[in-house]
Amino acid sequence: MDFMKFLKSVALAAAVILPQSALASSGGPALPEQTWNFQGIFGQFDQSALKRGARVTVEVCMACHSVKYIKFDSLKQLGFSEAEVIALAEAQSRNKKDRMLSPMDPVAAKDTFGVTPPDLSLITKARKGYEDYTYALLTGYLTDADRALVQKVMEDGALSDSELKELSSALGLDPHHPEKAKEILTRIQANENFNKYFPGHFLAMPQPLNDGAVTYPDGVESSLKQMSQDVVTFLAWAAEPTLMERKSLGVKVMLYLVLLTVMFYAVKRRIWAKVH
Amino acid sequence: MFKSIMDWVDVRLPVTALIKSQATEYPTPKNLNYWWVFGSLALFCLIVMLMTGLFLAMHYKPDANLAFDAVEHIMRDVNYGWLLRYMHANGATFFFMAVYIHILRGMYYGSHRAPREILWWFGIIIFFLLMATAFMGYVLPWGQMSYWGAAVITNLMSAIPVVGEELVVWIWGGFAVGDPTLNRFFALHFLLPFVIFGVVIIHLWALHAVHSNNPDGIDIVDEHKDTIPFHPYITIKDLYSMGVFLLIYCAFVFFMPNFFLEPDNYIPANPMQTPAHIVPEWYFLPFYAILRSIDFLGSYSKLAGVIAMVAAIAILFILPFLDRSPVRSFRYRPLSRQLFWIFVIDCFLLGWVGYNPADATRFNGALPLIVVGRTCTAIYFGYFFLLWIITAFDIEKPQPVPKSL
Repeated sequence: MDFMKFLKSVALAAAVILPQSALASSGGPALPEQTWNFQGIFGQFDQSALKRGARVTVEVCMACHSVKYIKFDSLKQLGFSEAEVIALAEAQSRNKKDRMLSPMDPVAAKDTFGVTPPDLSLITKARKGYEDYTYALLTGYLTDADRALVQKVMEDGALSDSELKELSSALGLDPHHPEKAKEILTRIQANENFNKYFPGHFLAMPQPLNDGAVTYPDGVESSLKQMSQDVVTFLAWAAEPTLMERKSLGVKVMLYLVLLTVMFYAVKRRIWAKVH
Repeated sequence: MFKSIMDWVDVRLPVTALIKSQATEYPTPKNLNYWWVFGSLALFCLIVMLMTGLFLAMHYKPDANLAFDAVEHIMRDVNYGWLLRYMHANGATFFFMAVYIHILRGMYYGSHRAPREILWWFGIIIFFLLMATAFMGYVLPWGQMSYWGAAVITNLMSAIPVVGEELVVWIWGGFAVGDPTLNRFFALHFLLPFVIFGVVIIHLWALHAVHSNNPDGIDIVDEHKDTIPFHPYITIKDLYSMGVFLLIYCAFVFFMPNFFLEPDNYIPANPMQTPAHIVPEWYFLPFYAILRSIDFLGSYSKLAGVIAMVAAIAILFILPFLDRSPVRSFRYRPLSRQLFWIFVIDCFLLGWVGYNPADATRFNGALPLIVVGRTCTAIYFGYFFLLWIITAFDIEKPQPVPKSL
């Protein structure tokens, strides 16, 4: 009998733990976990962050990327005025009724960068790690301190264990493969675009955002972190504009179902009292 | 008024008598536990899938150039389209959960044993049809995982000797998965649920001919003492269970709708770019692991893997004859009970192996998952073999069974 209890608890544990461990084992350096105020059951989009994010997206990201499922006109839902929407669209030589398409020709982009810049409409839903991943990517390029470290390590050409350790914690490199680390350092020095969180570390996109890349009309300081937060918030909205509607309906549905289920349970007890 | 109308109808079509004998007064064992509610929950899921699917089909476009955009059109522009799609996508998950518990309940309490073999067989046929329907439905959003999942699974047919290669081209409607494949999968995905519905009616017909098994696995001796009418006892119990089931289902639909979906499927299908890691939906993972675990037979590996995968489900057809015990329910069979729970754990492990890449390892390479997969596959089939051994040769001594409910 005890063996039975053991087996049942293992089965239960397997049902709970295995799906989670399966989801966790995605490989690559762990993403810095962010708190997004639109997450959770009662989470809401921060309107001002959405507006700032839309501005960064239009002024910076859309140089190469499209957000094809959103029309400029829809930005009014974020609190932009008619005039602001028209200004944003015209800056991209578009009409306000147009979809948010990048002026860059996809074929030309492929010639220049070797890849077609992906459409950003669904980007926060289309990568493991979701919003956290997009944020990590935007902030995961080399900092000045990282570059200094790489410079220091590469000076003598040799890679000591302590240096490897330092590199693996700073750049998210695998500490078990010194050869691989060396190759990565060489490529960094050849000015390839290194990113701590991109699978394989090297990508076609150079660092898109730098401190002060955009001037915010609302006076918020446009630091790299702030802009990345704002862009990701906007892209999360672009990926699912019905998110708020879904959650608010969800709360009502759940309350109704709780009530209904409790009533069913009470009636069930009543009816079955005759049998038990 | 109503009575006179019903009298008129009953003379011509005995509706009242049918409802009475098959629904309201249909006798059910009084000791059924909550594991018995998953049959009606599965039926509920089928209805939810049929309804949401019908409305999704009104807005969807089965065209390789339009399908992905059509799904986003549903998500963004169609009134409550996001609700329809998330209910349908998560509905598949919850349908399979209900069906898996329903099958395991049958295995534990011996619901497949005489005289319920035909009832059981139609259940397995439903399960096969369900898997085919789910597979083709997953292709329709035409994302990366849709496309490559379809490519990997349809490619398995090429393992069939002689006709395999031509068969795959015939299924694809071309020399690769493409627009014709999407078109026919949509047509079949629309048709098959109605076929399932038909087989469900046969399943219920067979059930009502032999009546429900029960947790003690014994026959009803005194219908008056041992049974209760379906209504109101089972109806209210099913309704209460449906409430709990809906609560969990809706928690996912409204608050975690993408939990069971792969991020890669939000990338439009691209025949030129293989995703780093192709995984099927969770409900196929154990069978996918069995398929991949046969990799040691050289050029026959693929065929053997396909055979093992199909056999993993088809073996359920002969389960009623493998189990030779005089006692149906594992409640009174300690050894079978232990085997059963090992089997359940084994299925979870197979699922986990199936989720991981084929060449994945654990403990710094000391434990290749393919070894775990092979072991678990052996245990999976071993369960059925051992069940036969311990019952056919009286190795298991069942405990005394109650005389009546």
